[in-house]
Amino acid sequence: MKAVTPVIASLVLLIGTQGIHAEVDFARDVLPILSNKCFVCHGPDSNDADMLRLDTEALATVDRGGYRAIDQQKPKKSAALERLLSKDAPMPPEDAEKQLTEDERELLVAWIRQGGRYAKHWAFVAPVKSKPVSKKNAGRDEVIDAFIADRFKESGASFNREAEKHVLARRVALVLTGLPPELDVLDEYLADDSDQAYENLVERLLANSRYGEHQARYWLDAVRYGDTHGLHLDNRRGIYPYRDWVVGAMNENLPFDEFITWQLAGDLLPEPSLEQLVATGFVRMNPSTAEGGAIPAEFQAKNNFDRTETLGTVLLGMTLTCSRCHTHKYDPITQAEYYQLLAFFNSTAESAMDGNSYTYAPVVNAPKDQAAWSQWKQFEKEKDRVVAEAAKLIGEAVKLDDAQLQVWKDASVDARFKLVLDPASAFAQAEIHQQASKLQMEIDASAKGYTTTLVAKELGTPRETKILHRGEYDQPQGDALEPDVLSIMGSFPEDVPRNRLGLAAWLTADDHPVMSRVIVNRIWARVFGDPLVRTPEDFGVQGEQPTHPELLDWLAVDFRENGWDLKAMLRLMVHSRTFKQSSAWRESVEDPENRLFARGPSYRLDAEVLRDIGLWASGLLSPHMGGEGVKPYQPDGMWKALAHPGSNTKQYVRDKGELLYRRSLYVYWKRTSPHPMMTLFDAPDRESSCVQRQRTNTALQSLGLLNETQRIEMSRVLAERLLEQASEDSERVDLLFRLLTSRSASETESGAILNLIRSMKQRYGTQVDDAKSLLAIGEAEQNNSLDPAEHAAWTQAVVAVLASDPAILLY
Amino acid sequence: MNSVNPIRESELMMTRRHLFGKTALGLGTAAMAGLIGSELNAGRPGPSGPSGHGGLAGLPHHQPKAKSVIYLFMSGGPSHIDLWDYKPKLNDLFGEQLPAEIRDGQRVTGMTANQKSGFPLAPSRYKFTKQDNNADGLWTSELLPHTATVAKELCVVYSTFTEAINHDPAITYIQTGAQTPGRPSLGAWLSYGLGTANENLPHYVVMHARTNHPEQSLFNRLWGPGFLSSDHQGILMRSQGDPVLFLSNPTGVSATDRRAQLDALAAINQQQAQQFGDPEVLSRIKQHEMAYRMQSSVPELVDFSDETAATLEMYGEDVKTPGTFAASCLTARRLAQRGVRNIQIFHRGWDAHGNLAGEHGSQAKDIDQATAALIKDLKQQGMLDETLVVWGGEFGRTPYCQGNLARENYGRDHHPRCFTTWMAGGGVKPGITYGRTDDYGYNIADENGNPLHPQPNKDSWTPGTMHIHDLNATILHLMGIDHTKLTYRYQGRDFRLTDVHGHVLTDILT
Repeated sequence: MKAVTPVIASLVLLIGTQGIHAEVDFARDVLPILSNKCFVCHGPDSNDADMLRLDTEALATVDRGGYRAIDQQKPKKSAALERLLSKDAPMPPEDAEKQLTEDERELLVAWIRQGGRYAKHWAFVAPVKSKPVSKKNAGRDEVIDAFIADRFKESGASFNREAEKHVLARRVALVLTGLPPELDVLDEYLADDSDQAYENLVERLLANSRYGEHQARYWLDAVRYGDTHGLHLDNRRGIYPYRDWVVGAMNENLPFDEFITWQLAGDLLPEPSLEQLVATGFVRMNPSTAEGGAIPAEFQAKNNFDRTETLGTVLLGMTLTCSRCHTHKYDPITQAEYYQLLAFFNSTAESAMDGNSYTYAPVVNAPKDQAAWSQWKQFEKEKDRVVAEAAKLIGEAVKLDDAQLQVWKDASVDARFKLVLDPASAFAQAEIHQQASKLQMEIDASAKGYTTTLVAKELGTPRETKILHRGEYDQPQGDALEPDVLSIMGSFPEDVPRNRLGLAAWLTADDHPVMSRVIVNRIWARVFGDPLVRTPEDFGVQGEQPTHPELLDWLAVDFRENGWDLKAMLRLMVHSRTFKQSSAWRESVEDPENRLFARGPSYRLDAEVLRDIGLWASGLLSPHMGGEGVKPYQPDGMWKALAHPGSNTKQYVRDKGELLYRRSLYVYWKRTSPHPMMTLFDAPDRESSCVQRQRTNTALQSLGLLNETQRIEMSRVLAERLLEQASEDSERVDLLFRLLTSRSASETESGAILNLIRSMKQRYGTQVDDAKSLLAIGEAEQNNSLDPAEHAAWTQAVVAVLASDPAILLY
Repeated sequence: MNSVNPIRESELMMTRRHLFGKTALGLGTAAMAGLIGSELNAGRPGPSGPSGHGGLAGLPHHQPKAKSVIYLFMSGGPSHIDLWDYKPKLNDLFGEQLPAEIRDGQRVTGMTANQKSGFPLAPSRYKFTKQDNNADGLWTSELLPHTATVAKELCVVYSTFTEAINHDPAITYIQTGAQTPGRPSLGAWLSYGLGTANENLPHYVVMHARTNHPEQSLFNRLWGPGFLSSDHQGILMRSQGDPVLFLSNPTGVSATDRRAQLDALAAINQQQAQQFGDPEVLSRIKQHEMAYRMQSSVPELVDFSDETAATLEMYGEDVKTPGTFAASCLTARRLAQRGVRNIQIFHRGWDAHGNLAGEHGSQAKDIDQATAALIKDLKQQGMLDETLVVWGGEFGRTPYCQGNLARENYGRDHHPRCFTTWMAGGGVKPGITYGRTDDYGYNIADENGNPLHPQPNKDSWTPGTMHIHDLNATILHLMGIDHTKLTYRYQGRDFRLTDVHGHVLTDILT
């Protein structure tokens, strides 16, 4: 079979009839073959103690009684060489499920002949910054392009021309905020010929609170955020304050290491803030059950499997699932290590079964939407101010004795605030006490509107964790294990507690080889359309190699060195020439999957974005941020057809008014039956982690785009906007295209639309009842002063344009 | 090719499509519409593999016996003891405790583990009669009089087993091969491997039949794509509203209006294709056209007016009511007739913990006549040979009673160790039974009825038994797929429906 991946393709060039002469790169070229074709028997999970192991250099080269499988001193004497070339007793054996291709066999032979040296799998070696070959002195803002250009040298490709200005404006707005640029922002940018124009645009977008909503969505897919428990009854679960916290953290650009630490272990930080507690909803995100006959011990184990394996996918880019039952067949992770990692999660305080309860304890009370979060943050600032003011009074208006002074000095801000508030304290007579009391009253009043959210809490006495034989909850084996990290990715850091906080410290440590790479790879994917490692869920030996390893490493290190600053990383990416290229395909570059990044990104937008764009363009989009999941139009009976009669999510009760028009991020996520317009366009079910959505293209999507109630509603409201804001049909077409494509309509486009409008006007002019039925769809108010035939005709045109590729693709 | 590599496959497909896409650039819409053939059939590949409806190269692995599978899924755990697995000896043991050596360490759900009455045996209240089949005859329950009449077509497997003891894990297990969410469903695997034979209808159809006892939940994951491309997910065919979601035009929009709209849309998309050269855009034009055709092919599908009175009568009065099991069965036959390969009907309400007589009576009434009619109808149409019908649930029920025990009514808890599944048509030996259970209907037994020690497990196949992985392996086999070769690389591992298990039950194949 013809190989296409760049790595293999480059190897094919090396392979000729005379064999391979160039130096073989073990980590890049040999290890994947050994892993895929040999490790099943000769790998980490070999059960037979006498079985040859090829997964470590020491074992592969050990003296096996007069011979070595790989003899590094006398390579030609290597037994493996003989078996690889043997006709009588070949390796792999003739009946093995996976056979070597001839190219692979030649490569292994060449590697052994060259001395059979081992090296670590690339992802397990901590990344370092290297210099691009084509531009050794590249500045920070030139590095991406220089690394991309390095690969062009090998392939003969080149950068595409720069995208037109309006294309770029729409692209960068969609990438950063998930919406097209507002018309005034667009016009200002298009009119600005200065060098600063693009930078200004980017900064405006980064500062827009819609940015946080859009970026949060990727994280919510990864952590499998849902509004229900997931299993069996799939009842409601109160955890949306976590979702709102993620949005806030994105908007405030919380450094990513803290973002991770709070989520894994916010409760274990000293005097954790409410935000830090809410963030631990991450630990509680596993689907859960309370099925009548279920056995708690079974689900204690299953919940932990889920958390451990999700950590693997989301932060380590690696499946750990294999190691649940046996030592990993491919990656160097033992079963014991799996359970040591699991031990970090095994001592949280919630019960194994959720009781079908919205408040599946432990929970805390938290702000119920983004406005309430802002208020909470304001209160925290006020507290700081009050405490600072109070501190100034000490020794002057307020006299503290030595003991009191010591208490003050040792106290946290919250504790100091309580002291100032205490009518029995020395502050009681000071005016600051009044201020504190007033503030506390406001805080109390605000907290009455809070809602509950699931959080993590550690048990006083940790649970014992043992290896479970074959992953069976009722077959624990051996001694209790201490929590520990995967040895292939470094060791547990010193001076940190051996709990989830320590786990976070390990992940965010400078020398952690994987996490930063995994994260920047996904950031890259959302900017450039495809990731650098095309298997973002697998950085292990079986995963794909990065298309641009040096670039991935440079970004991973840079991200960490620059304070884990997500906005800065996005800024760097969207300012690159690579990003600004036209996404048009070129005859001269044969690269259908854009592995060279010799053109800009091009893909169908995500389900949420498709809906948001329509709501936004029609003016229906609600500015409200956060809050309980909302329930827009959905065909009747979808939940009931599936749900248990005892479930409290069996009836889909559609919302009304403004709630119908909230951003799609806030659409209620019932895990066993998400909104059909979401699943139709590849949204995951959020029962398990998803770090990269698929982008399918189906006939049923066409039906959804053209017939679904909300799409008709947003189209007729947008049509209304066009009729109200422009007086000529051609101006209306123009406005429509400017909203959806950031440019005027082409002649072809306006020709097609005006033609449609003409025929529709005629048709609805004679059949006004049909026009009225069409315009009655959806709850949004109608402008009855408009001519129904004209309004209906325009509605039809808007439905078509909203469904068209210039509107539903990023390009 | 030893095994199918989805990544490579997708690349080849993309390359073919790319070349094709290039040549199609610059052509007018009409010319292009004619040119977009099956080459452009597929959607864009997902993160790590192809999507679309073309199926994989190299499949089927062998000549399939069945072109379609109609899977009648009885959700909740139908009682094998009251429906199929005749246990007359229980009659003498009414109210006596299940012997400990029979239970033999089986874990029990939290619902009966600590019940005060222990494990009192509950003989079936239903009368069984023996029907002729093509072997030693088939005992059938009075609950299923119609199904009894097709005994000569059925292959009844008494020795189906699983490990899961609760609904959510068990149904997820039998449908996806794993007890926890995240894996592709049987139907998605079939779609991924085989693609579709009729592009104007959904490739994989799921129906939820009406029941008086809508107990136990179903989940999207049971027909979900897992990590496969999401266009392999099952498409719900519904009795409420549109048969396929969003199928109908909005009110006030006619087919002519839609045609005009699609023409405008095609002109806009065509320009996009010319400007950007992305073959995906051309492919989408085709999907819009398919959707348009589906708008007439689906209503035609669910319109039974072209069926003969005799056929309708055979299915029974219910067939006239959309959403009933009967209407779903007839729809299933019509789908199979039109080349849809992959059809599942879920019927809920078999979870009889307390009132088995009341619930199973009504449940059986829902399905019995239509099930028999489906088999007869397929046979009359000459389709049974190439249509595999599967009937079964996620586990069976205990011979001991849960809750109040009386001769006439009782409840039964979940039972994983043995339960009854049957298959018919599509390459399965007609009129036989397979495997047996002990006198209690509790353990899988040898040919003399003595419980096997140890009980069979999924790791190695025991003749005369059918683990749920074996069932799935057999279904795939009949559809022309080697279950060990239909794999998908995700997170570095080549996953398959049957995990590392599964044995094709050649004993029961023609």
